[in-house]
Amino acid sequence: MKDLFRGELIRFTFEEPETRAKAEVRWQRDTEFVRLADGDPSHLSSEKKIKEWFDQRSERGPKSERVSFSVRTLEEDKFIGDLGLWIDLIHSEAWVGLGIGEREFWSKGYGTDMMKLCMQYVFTELGVERLSLGLFEYNPRALRSYEKCGFRLEGRSRKEMLREGQRYDSLWMGILREEWLAMQNGDQK
Amino acid sequence: MKDIFTGNLVRLSAFDPEEMSKAFPRWFQNSEYARLLDSAARPMRSSKAALKWMEKEAEEISIENYYFSIRTLAEDKLIGEIGLDVVNWSGRDAFVGLGIGETDYWSKGYGTDVMNVLLRYAFTEINLKRVTLTVFEYNPRAIRSYEKAGFRHEGRLRRLLNREGRRWDELFMGILRQEWLDLNVPMAAEAAVGT
Repeated sequence: MKDLFRGELIRFTFEEPETRAKAEVRWQRDTEFVRLADGDPSHLSSEKKIKEWFDQRSERGPKSERVSFSVRTLEEDKFIGDLGLWIDLIHSEAWVGLGIGEREFWSKGYGTDMMKLCMQYVFTELGVERLSLGLFEYNPRALRSYEKCGFRLEGRSRKEMLREGQRYDSLWMGILREEWLAMQNGDQK
Repeated sequence: MKDIFTGNLVRLSAFDPEEMSKAFPRWFQNSEYARLLDSAARPMRSSKAALKWMEKEAEEISIENYYFSIRTLAEDKLIGEIGLDVVNWSGRDAFVGLGIGETDYWSKGYGTDVMNVLLRYAFTEINLKRVTLTVFEYNPRAIRSYEKAGFRHEGRLRRLLNREGRRWDELFMGILRQEWLDLNVPMAAEAAVGT
């Protein structure tokens, strides 16, 4: 059987709250990273506060509607980012969000590899029928990566975001289980 | 759209701890009911203890657990309880448990009717792919009712139970979404329900 948690460049891991807080407290200072990852305003939290937050989440234990992974590179075993899934159990569909906090790993295929591994997990382990995501117009690198993974651009909320005096669209992408399966069969040929 | 909580004889109603904590101790005074419902040697509980337990359970609202009380349509009388617990989301499978505590309402089609309502809820509202149940070999009335609702025999744990000096099997029954659709949804309406 295929290893569900191992891609070509990265693997999914569980990191202790201490490790995550130590990384997050650095990543939050990178304004560009925060703006690409989230629409909320940047703010800064202490390492203690962040650790408390991760502690609370790990105490609550596993939930069917929420799955998250930390991500390490295979080569250096370096913790570079996170990936989260929100699952709508009634309608069998899920949303994904991912971020690479270590910026020297941008534009090198790590994000694409994370997403591919995530899709395999979502469609073969969770068995959902579609996977959705949102991103911002000012993140063409992510758009290109998601397209490579097989996501289709399905819609946009025009001028939703205000960044430095300029308005940008929010984009919505999705991939259906049958589209993903067809891609896998194509790969094998 | 159809009222998904109403059948021909009964309806599903909200599980009210006040009301149920009074009904439960009364129902469980009947050892036959207790034995048909549960393999555990169930101690009797006071209303107060039952209320405490139910309020705690009811507080934890979850997407995995659905509990209802059963009322007759004719007299709006509380006659039993039914619950659905999703055990596996990737297989979209749930266990159902059903008890008619008011013995006057046994063998008159109430159980079959409420099971039909619950299956419709499970397949069209929670969008499950299968529903599973277990029943004891010494409960042929329930087995017959589940067969009527469309459940198939899937397996048995041989000689699992000890009742009155002899051993009995526990039976597993199940129904798949497609089987339920074939039984309940005319061809034309099938597209509207989806698969």
